[in-house]
Amino acid sequence: MNTDLALVVESLEAGYEPGLPIVRNACLSVRQGEIMAILGPNGAGKSSFVKAVAGLLPISMGRCLLGSRDITRTPAHRMVFEGLAFVPQTENVFINLSVAENLELAAAIIKARLRDSLEPVYAMFPDLHRQRALPAGQLSGGQRQMLAVARALIAKPKLLILDEPSAGLSPLLVQQVFAKLREVRDSGITVLLVEQNVKAALALADRAAVLVEGKERIVGKSQDLLNDERVAELYLGRHTGKQRAKEGI
Amino acid sequence: MLQILADGLIIGSVVSLGAIGLSMTLSIVRFSNFSHGELLGWGAYLALVASTALNATSAAWSVPIGPFSFGWGLLLALVLACGLTALLAFGLDAILFKRLRKQGSITLVIASFGAALALRNLLLFWQGGIPRYYSENLQIAIAFLPRSTWGGLRATPDQLLVLALALLTVTGLHFFLQRSTLGRAMRATALNPGLARVTGIDPERVLRATWLMGGVLAAIAGVFAGLTVQMRPTMGVDLLLPLFAAVILGGIGSIWGAVLGGFVVGMAESVSITLVGAEYRSAAAFVVLIAILMVRPRGLFGERN
Repeated sequence: MNTDLALVVESLEAGYEPGLPIVRNACLSVRQGEIMAILGPNGAGKSSFVKAVAGLLPISMGRCLLGSRDITRTPAHRMVFEGLAFVPQTENVFINLSVAENLELAAAIIKARLRDSLEPVYAMFPDLHRQRALPAGQLSGGQRQMLAVARALIAKPKLLILDEPSAGLSPLLVQQVFAKLREVRDSGITVLLVEQNVKAALALADRAAVLVEGKERIVGKSQDLLNDERVAELYLGRHTGKQRAKEGI
Repeated sequence: MLQILADGLIIGSVVSLGAIGLSMTLSIVRFSNFSHGELLGWGAYLALVASTALNATSAAWSVPIGPFSFGWGLLLALVLACGLTALLAFGLDAILFKRLRKQGSITLVIASFGAALALRNLLLFWQGGIPRYYSENLQIAIAFLPRSTWGGLRATPDQLLVLALALLTVTGLHFFLQRSTLGRAMRATALNPGLARVTGIDPERVLRATWLMGGVLAAIAGVFAGLTVQMRPTMGVDLLLPLFAAVILGGIGSIWGAVLGGFVVGMAESVSITLVGAEYRSAAAFVVLIAILMVRPRGLFGERN
């Protein structure tokens, strides 16, 4: 068992309907303390992949290890107790509750002492502390994303998974959110995120994997992927059937 | 004039308590439970059976407490009925709704129609169709205002107790939902079930709590209806439309909305009984409902995520 790995996914098959897998035979290893990005064209099954890992999509085959713990059959609501926090792509804050109530709820559910769990999170997100009395629905898109991340960090996870944190944000806000994710990583939490925004994601992540048709195809350091012609072609949609066969994409 | 308002408050107490349970099922279990009214009927009759049994063991149970028409037996019977009705609601979910949950809300709604028919007719079979009362004691209404002032104001001690207990129950429920972890988990699940799950909230636990609480509130409402009006096996279906009107009026998922909606429906019924006759009382609630929805389509306190 390699203890440097935060998450190991082996031959994962998952989907909403039995017999119709969206994720097929996907494997992935995420190293302790890194930011890993999952890239891929639309409909490649990126979101489904992380949802399956987080327990939100039924898994029919394969397994997921969080550190040394098998979390393949762990239901979604038990994941925070295992050390895995998930930030959904949309509707990821309770808009009717205030910023403080959103965070306090997360703390209450895991029965954490409010002071101990809220203080470090507010220290990392001073803007949220200033806006704590505001209903989350009135936050700007960027602040809302920050709150979603803050909410996930309340449980002091070992692994933070985000489903497209840049969705719907302007480039400037994406930079701010990503800068915060670097801080999260530097605090010792492993980060796994799904991204459409390839350039920004490769600039942020230490390593990345490209998912095509529910299976990982290219895995490597961000820098290498940035210069990889196959990645560029995949996104520019230039590859022909011949190239596909040649390169095994 | 004042008397109409007072009567409206009493009807409203019953409708409010029933509507809260219905509203919680709608926003957490996510379907219109047409069998919710029957829980009120069953709650009322279960309390009747329990209090009759208690009175048979000792006459002391039936000695009226102070100015009220009933003895300690009925209060104990109310507690028993709350527990049994909660079990009934929970059992209904376990054997019927739980299995159908994956089929979607339309299937659940139709199933709840069937459950309502079954429950109502079982009650009729068990208890007969004759109207029943908890106590044969007649109560003299206390006159708070003479007839010369605004048409007078009179209420029986039972009615005042019902109003007070209804408000107490709602306040207690409010604090439970605002402060306790389970209460917050229930609100969170109503607002955004997906996010609630990843926050660590067990959806099944929340569903169980919703059924149990809906059952308890229904039993209290049913006993209050039996105490202030009378009991018939059809009382559940008679109350069902006012309950739905109150929920929609107040805004689905809002506790205080259901309470206010309940009182508005109560007032509308009370006014229509005086002005156009008792047979139009259900229609009155819907006239008010339509009027309010035209101004506020999501109800008075409608929440949305």
